[in-house]
Amino acid sequence: MTIRHHATDETLMRYAAGQLPAGPARVLAVHLAGCPCCRSRLAEFDAVGGALLEAMPPAPMAPDAFAAALRAIDAQEHALPAAPFLARDAKAEVPAALPGGVPLPAALRDCEIGPWRWIGLGVRASAVKLPEDRQARLTLLRIGPGRKMPDHGHVGTEFTQVISGSFSDGYGRYGPGDLSEMDQEIEHQPIVDPDGECICLAALEGSMRLNGFFGRLVQPFVRL
Amino acid sequence: MKDDGVPDGAELARLIGMVATERDRQAYARLYSYFAPRLNAFLRKSGLPSNTAEEIAQEVMLSVWRKASYFDPARAGAATWIFTIARNLRIDHLRRIRTAAVGEDEQGEIETAPSGETLLLTAEREARVREALKTLSAEQATVLRLSFFSEKAHSEIARELGLPLGTVKSRVRLALGRLRVLLEGQS
Repeated sequence: MTIRHHATDETLMRYAAGQLPAGPARVLAVHLAGCPCCRSRLAEFDAVGGALLEAMPPAPMAPDAFAAALRAIDAQEHALPAAPFLARDAKAEVPAALPGGVPLPAALRDCEIGPWRWIGLGVRASAVKLPEDRQARLTLLRIGPGRKMPDHGHVGTEFTQVISGSFSDGYGRYGPGDLSEMDQEIEHQPIVDPDGECICLAALEGSMRLNGFFGRLVQPFVRL
Repeated sequence: MKDDGVPDGAELARLIGMVATERDRQAYARLYSYFAPRLNAFLRKSGLPSNTAEEIAQEVMLSVWRKASYFDPARAGAATWIFTIARNLRIDHLRRIRTAAVGEDEQGEIETAPSGETLLLTAEREARVREALKTLSAEQATVLRLSFFSEKAHSEIARELGLPLGTVKSRVRLALGRLRVLLEGQS
């Protein structure tokens, strides 16, 4: 899988800084899982965080803070070694595969994948619910071959990660593993390539423009 | 350790290793006295009220004790590792759910076996990033630092530099572009 469309530095920095909202952060997590190049660039921004942390002028903790830390550690050491990480694993309702036998990206395994619904224009959509943020709007889209979407702009940046198939717009061709970041100034007209349907994961940052394409697409089933 | 008593990256990594393998409380005390006040300052800077910042700084330091064995110097420097813990705990706090596990598991899947080579590459990356940050112009360093901390910082930068918000956004992009050139140029 050759990845041609990567995350921008700004997005990677915001992810490293912990500023990217939950939806776009998940889209990026799916991209990162398949993109060693962006992982290595992210590591650089993590290192920026480390450098900024070390450069902070120290703000003293309360005088008894270290003693309290040692007490907390003692309490931990005496507690039974539990297995806290396994508690909320393996949700039975999550399908292991997407339509067409496409594997569900590992970075979505702890999400609730909603039913696929036909929403017109040759498009089906499934709402993805994140355990860390139930309000986050994250959508799987499944678009028929050759389907042309109307021109659309949006408020905020739209993050789209291709999972299978491909689409093209004025900015290039996006295949599996590619990430498209379209900010609000950009009007673009994605067309799914004729050789097969395209499954992608999309999240919008910022408020939704209700009469916009994405708004019409998502609103009917997200707000149930 | 350097002459000024401030532990360098290698020393910090060694201290974390001692916490991991020997549960060494003296090593932990040194990590605590170095990092806790910096975490406290960092978290305040990122917009948390001071009591919350201190609580989370404390939580981060407890995680350092608990997770010391997960620290992998082939993956990140000591400060970078601790920064990522702080970032994740801050996100968790902001989303008001407690999950320390998700981020860790996700990263685990991505990982390849550490080797001497990746260890060197990591040390080299940490040095390269720090060098690049030093080479940025004062304004670009400010823009980058402020924009790293919070969304609000964009308007903060705008006020500070007397610029419209849109201009600040493009300056952030320019600063990032410059950083990228510096990072690539040195590699």
